[in-house]
Amino acid sequence: MEIYLPIAEMSVHWLLLFGIGGAVGFLSGMFGVGGGFLLTPLLMFYGIPSGVAVATTASHVTASSMSGALTQWRNRAVDLKLAAIMTASGITGTGVGVWLFGILREAGQMELIVSASYVILLGTIGTLMLRESLAALAAARKGEQAPSARAQHHNWIHGLPFKVRFRDSRLYISVIPPVLIGFSVGILSAILGVGGGFLLVPALIYLVRVPANIVMGTSLLQIVFVTAASTILHSVSDFTVDIMLAGILIGGGVIGAQFGLRIGARMRGEQLRFWLAVLVLAVGARLLYGLLVSPGDPFSVADPL
Amino acid sequence: MKRIVAVILFLFGAGTARADDLVAGLSQDIIQITSNYTGTDIVAFGAIENMNVMTAAGPMDIVVAVRGPDADMIVRKKERVAGIWLNNHGVEMHRLPSYYYVASTRPLSAIAPDDTLKRYELGLDDIEPTSTSARTPQIAEPYRQALVRHKLIEGLYNENAGGVEFLSPTLFRARVPVPANVPRGQYNVQVYLFRDGNVISAQSTPLYVDQTGLERRLFNFAHQSPLAYGLSTVFMASMLGWLSSMVFRRIS
Repeated sequence: MEIYLPIAEMSVHWLLLFGIGGAVGFLSGMFGVGGGFLLTPLLMFYGIPSGVAVATTASHVTASSMSGALTQWRNRAVDLKLAAIMTASGITGTGVGVWLFGILREAGQMELIVSASYVILLGTIGTLMLRESLAALAAARKGEQAPSARAQHHNWIHGLPFKVRFRDSRLYISVIPPVLIGFSVGILSAILGVGGGFLLVPALIYLVRVPANIVMGTSLLQIVFVTAASTILHSVSDFTVDIMLAGILIGGGVIGAQFGLRIGARMRGEQLRFWLAVLVLAVGARLLYGLLVSPGDPFSVADPL
Repeated sequence: MKRIVAVILFLFGAGTARADDLVAGLSQDIIQITSNYTGTDIVAFGAIENMNVMTAAGPMDIVVAVRGPDADMIVRKKERVAGIWLNNHGVEMHRLPSYYYVASTRPLSAIAPDDTLKRYELGLDDIEPTSTSARTPQIAEPYRQALVRHKLIEGLYNENAGGVEFLSPTLFRARVPVPANVPRGQYNVQVYLFRDGNVISAQSTPLYVDQTGLERRLFNFAHQSPLAYGLSTVFMASMLGWLSSMVFRRIS
C-alpha cells in the first residue's frame, strides 16, 4: 500500500491519505466548507513537508469547491461582476503570497509561520463559532429564535470612494472592500493552502452586505479561481505541488464530500457549527502544542533551495 | 578458489573491477526505484587475489564504503524565543554525501589509526563537509553531528562493524542496504584491503540509482515544464470535482 510521491519525495500509505482526503471531504461536505484549513495541518501531522502540504491542499480545495460553484452557477446565485473583481484581486494576493512563501522558505521560517498563522486563525474562528453556536443552541432550547445579525443600512464602508454598482447583489458600494477582502484571501490561500471561505462568507455578508443567497456562489467561484492560481503559481515558483498526492486526496475528498452533504442536510445548523467549532479548536490546539513543547531534537535538516 | 570467484562474478553478472591484489563487484550495478520500491539490499563481494598478501603476517581487513552523490544541506537549530520554538540558527554544509554506508570486518577503530580513517573518510565521525557557513569548525560540529544523527534515523547513513564477512580465507561479501528514500545519482562503492592498519589495495565500482516509471516522469514534468504541470494539476482537480458532482447527481 506504499506509494512514492514524486515531489514530496517520500513513500506514503496511499490508502491512509485517501482516507484523510475522504474524511476532510466528508467534513467539508457536511459543514459546507472547503476543508483546506483541516487538510494542511493533517498532512503536516502525517509528515508531508509543510511546503508541499500547503501547495497541494490548494488544488484539493479547487476540486472540492468546484461542484458547489457549479451548482450555484446553475441556480444563477452568483454575482459575476463581484466575483470577477474579487478573483482579480485574489490572484494578485496569491502572487504576493507565493513570493512571501519563497522568502520564508529560504529563511527556514515557513513551518513556524504556517503553524502560527493556523493557530491564530483556527483559534479565532473556532472561538467565535463556538460562542455563536452555543448561544444558538441555548436559544433553541428555550424555544426562541436566535437573534439574527441586524443589517445596518449605513456603515463606514459607505463613506469610501470608487463606488461601483453590483446589479446582482443590488449594491452600490466602493470597490475597496471587495478588493481588499479578495487580496487578503489570496495571500492566505498561497501561504496556508486554504480557500478562505470561512473569511470570505462572513466578510461579504457583514461588511459588504451581499445578499445571503448570492454569497455562497460568489465566494465559491472566487475560491475555485484563486486556489487554481495558487496551485499554478506554486508549481512554477517553488515546485511544491505534488500531483500524485493531489490525486489521492481529491479522489478521497470528492467521494467523502458527497456523503458529508447528505449527512449535513439532516443535521441542525447550530449543532453542525458547534461540532465544527470543536474540531477547529482541536486542530489549532494540536498545532499550538507543537510550537510550545520542546522538540525532541532541536536540529532539523533541509535541502537548500 | 579462483574458479569459485569466477563463478560468483559470472552469476551476479555485474560490473567488476580488478587491481593487483583485489577483485570486487556488485550484485547489481543499477538500482531502479519504482513506485512499489520499499528498499533492497545489494551485495558487494570480492576476493583477495595475491597470495603474497595472504601469507604475509599481521591482521588483514576489508572495508566497504558506499557514498551517494554529494549534496549541500542546511542544518537548523530550534530555540525557544518568547515561549515559542523556532529555527533560530542554521549552518550550511557543503558537499556532504547524500548516502553513506561503511561495512568492515572489525570495528574501524581496531582496523586502522584515526588519521588513516580520516584521510579515507571512513566512519560516521569522519564524514566532513568541504566547507560550512559557520565561523569556526567548533561552531559547526554540533550541527554536523545532528546531521549524521538525522541521516542515521532516515537510514541514509550507517556504519556496520562486522558487516563484511569472509566466506573463505580469500572470498568476502557485504550487504549494502538501499532504502526507499535514497537520492538518485551515481554512487561509488569503494573496497579497501587493510593490512596492519595500512591500505594496501583499493577498488572502486560505480553504482547507479535511478527512478523509473511514473514518479520519475512526473518529477521531470514538474521541474522541466512547471506551468504545464500546474495547469494539469488544476485541470485534474476541476475535472474530478465536476465529475463527482455529475455522478452523484445521477445516483441520488
